[in-house]
Amino acid sequence: MTLLKRCFSAIAIIVIVFSSNTIASDAEKAITARQAHMQTYAFNLGVLGNMAKGKTPYHADKAKTAAQNLLTLSSMNNASMWPQGSSQSDEGLGDKTRALAEIWTNFPKVMERHQVLTTELQHFVTIAGKDLASLKGGLGKVGAGCKGCHQDFRAAK
Amino acid sequence: MSVLKPWVRLAVIIAAISAACLWLLSQPSGRVTSEAVSAIQANIANGQQVFTVAGCGSCHVAPAAQPNGDVTQHNLAERPLLSGGQHFITAFGTFVAPNISPDKVAGIGRWSDADFATALLKGLSPDNQHYYPVFPYTAYTRMTLQDVIDLKAFLDTLPASSHTNTTHELHFPWNIRRGIGLWKRRYLTNNPALRLVNPTVQQQRGQYLVEALGHCGECHSPRNRAGATETDQWLAGSADINGQGGKQALSAPNITSHQAGLATWSAEDIADYLSTGFTPDYDVAGGLMSEVINNTRQLSKQDRLAMGEYLKVIPHRNGDGATD
Repeated sequence: MTLLKRCFSAIAIIVIVFSSNTIASDAEKAITARQAHMQTYAFNLGVLGNMAKGKTPYHADKAKTAAQNLLTLSSMNNASMWPQGSSQSDEGLGDKTRALAEIWTNFPKVMERHQVLTTELQHFVTIAGKDLASLKGGLGKVGAGCKGCHQDFRAAK
Repeated sequence: MSVLKPWVRLAVIIAAISAACLWLLSQPSGRVTSEAVSAIQANIANGQQVFTVAGCGSCHVAPAAQPNGDVTQHNLAERPLLSGGQHFITAFGTFVAPNISPDKVAGIGRWSDADFATALLKGLSPDNQHYYPVFPYTAYTRMTLQDVIDLKAFLDTLPASSHTNTTHELHFPWNIRRGIGLWKRRYLTNNPALRLVNPTVQQQRGQYLVEALGHCGECHSPRNRAGATETDQWLAGSADINGQGGKQALSAPNITSHQAGLATWSAEDIADYLSTGFTPDYDVAGGLMSEVINNTRQLSKQDRLAMGEYLKVIPHRNGDGATD
């Protein structure tokens, strides 16, 4: 290959590599993972919510399983999904995440709110399998637990 | 012989006439009379309902300040203390919510029923000053007089606070309070935001709850440059509720049944959301809406369903959240 062709090849490779959308940064990988985590919450909440709304029949074992899943999710240590530099305010992430920078500047409050949710889920697991009325009553409180973070740490759409 | 050239004299005369016209056009008018309210029997229980839907407490309780200054969720007690003090940063400047507790000095304890009705329905203070429409009398003006009087009776039962607050800090020319008189002439009406076609009783109830008491349009409709809600995009969402712009902008979504809004939601879904905060796919309401839901969850299922039914029949609008 002539020198000119080699130069063009090198330039082409460099341009392709740096413009590639398939190479995700570490922050983007974390964002994808934690959004999937939230969707798993939503899926299990859906099982319970559909029973509460009467869209599906109440089923004690399924309710208890879904409640346990929520507690398992809440008990995971997912600190690595929330690395510094992955907030909405960070470079290039404005439309990839709604996580507000406050999460990192006010971390004690985040942990406090998270603990409220976990505690509520620990209780919910003991009542979700009792009967529909208990499920309905508990689900409202679980929602309030979710809200605790979404209210202050997630940007509006 | 005057030292002023003729054209200067003419300019001065025109300016004086203009000022006089503006003065007249902006004057406060239409106070609710004591005769109008005297026949009304107050119902305190209904007043509490009205208080809940109208969300008075959400703005008028004190800010629960954290050490780093942010405002946490307001846990409205059964008998909240409406001492005011919350700051609302907008394109026009910063507003401070006043004390509306029954305190006779710092609050509204000396107000008559007619004074209170005039404030909510006409946006005028007891001493005939225009209120800034940050106080959403543009929605409350659609309230029934009965609901207004009931609300006053309930407010009178709440604890008094002697706390006084700072005044608004507004940019020129919005700091000329008298100018709001002109704004009201153009924008204040107690007509419904839109006319429903053959509405059912439920839809009419929903219209009242959403347009008058719930004042949903104050956040969920875009505003023009003068800060008035654009009724031709009613409830189609706003990219910048307070006009702050940039990264500080708070947005509210489209809640018409357009594809960009609640197309896939049923009236039931809306009623459930207003109670639990769960969307149909189990996302959770966040931000300011979770505060609204603290109030709406106290409504009856029937009322929440009425709001849902109203939202399903209003015109589908796509908003255009990008520019207000």
